[in-house]
Amino acid sequence: MGEPRTPLEPPTPEQAAFLERAMTQYGKATYNFAYRLTGNEADARDLTQDAFVRVYRAWRSFSPGTSFLSWIYRIVTNLYRDELRRRKGRFQEEIPEDNAPQEFGGQRPLAVTPIDDFVDRQLSEPLSKALAQLSGDQRQVVVLADIEEYSYQEIAEIMGCSIGTVRSRLHRARALLRRLVERAQAQQER
Amino acid sequence: MNDHLSNDLLVDFVHRELSPADDAMAHAHLAGCVACREAYELEATLTEALRSAAKADEREFPSLVSAAVWDRIRHAEPGPFAKLAAWLRPAYALPVAAAVLIGGFFVSPLAHPAAHPTIAASYYLEAHAAQSAITPLSERSSSPALETSMIAPGSPRGQDDGAAAGAVDVVR
Repeated sequence: MGEPRTPLEPPTPEQAAFLERAMTQYGKATYNFAYRLTGNEADARDLTQDAFVRVYRAWRSFSPGTSFLSWIYRIVTNLYRDELRRRKGRFQEEIPEDNAPQEFGGQRPLAVTPIDDFVDRQLSEPLSKALAQLSGDQRQVVVLADIEEYSYQEIAEIMGCSIGTVRSRLHRARALLRRLVERAQAQQER
Repeated sequence: MNDHLSNDLLVDFVHRELSPADDAMAHAHLAGCVACREAYELEATLTEALRSAAKADEREFPSLVSAAVWDRIRHAEPGPFAKLAAWLRPAYALPVAAAVLIGGFFVSPLAHPAAHPTIAASYYLEAHAAQSAITPLSERSSSPALETSMIAPGSPRGQDDGAAAGAVDVVR
C-alpha cells in the first residue's frame, strides 16, 4: 500500500490521545476489516497503518456522537479503492461484474444446500477464498452487509454510493458467491 | 414475483431491508412455500457462513502497526507551519524580537534628533525685530517683538537673550 508521505505536523496532546484511543479501541476491528478486503496480512497491515495516519491527520473532521467505526471503515474503503486502482491487474485476479441470469426463474430447484456442507465441515477457508474472488466493490459490500452487519443506508454512506448501488452490488456478489460455493462443492464431490 | 420470491428479494429479506409491506408479504409467502423457504434458508445460511468464517479467521491488531503509525508521525518531515511554529518558540522569538527592536530604533528618527529642523530663539527675535524696523507702524508688526519691547531690561525674561535686548532698542 503506502500512502504518499506528505509532511505531518507534530501531534498536539489531544490529537495524540485521540489516535491512541482510536487504535486501542478500534485497531482490531479496522485491521480485520482491512484483512477481509485485501485477503492478506501484509496489505491489511499497510492499509490499517495508512488509515490510522489519515485518522491522525483528519481527527478534527470526526464528528463526536457519530460512529467512529463507520468513519474509519469509510477511510479504509477509500484507501483500498485507491490502492486497487493503482495496482489494477496485479493486486489480485479480479472477476468481472457478474451479470448471471437470475436463478430460479420458473420452477425453483429443491434443497440444494452446499453451503450447509461448508458450515458443517467448518470450511471457512474455501468461503474466504470465494470471497477473495469477488471484485473489490462486491467484496466490500458483502463484508459490510454480511459480516459487519451494516444497513444498506450505512453501507451507502461508507462506500459513498447510492442505496440502489449497494443493493445491486450485494445481489450480484451473493449470486456469484453461491455459484463459487456450488462449484467448490462439485469439485469436492469428484 | 408471480410464483416464487426472487433471490434479490430474499437477500433483502435476510438483511431486513424490505419495506414493512414487502416484509409482511415475504413472511406470508415463506410460510406457505417450501421451495422459497429453502431458498431463503440458503441465503440465511450463506450469511451465517460468512459470519462464522470471518469469526474463525479473526486476527489480533498487530502491535507493529501501532508502532509504525507513531513512527511515521514522529519521524515525518515537519510541514511549513510546523517550521514557522518552531521559529515562534520563545528561545528563538525573544532574541529575534530584541534584535528587530534595536535595529528599528537605530533606523527610526528617534536615534537622530539633530536631523529635526529647529529655529534658534535668537534668530526668531532678530527676524521679527528687523521686520518691525522696516514697518514700525504696521499693525501687522510682530506682536512678539512689541511684547518683547515691553519687557523690562532687568527682568529675568529680558535677560534671557541678548538679542531680545537689541530688538527693544530697534523698536524705540
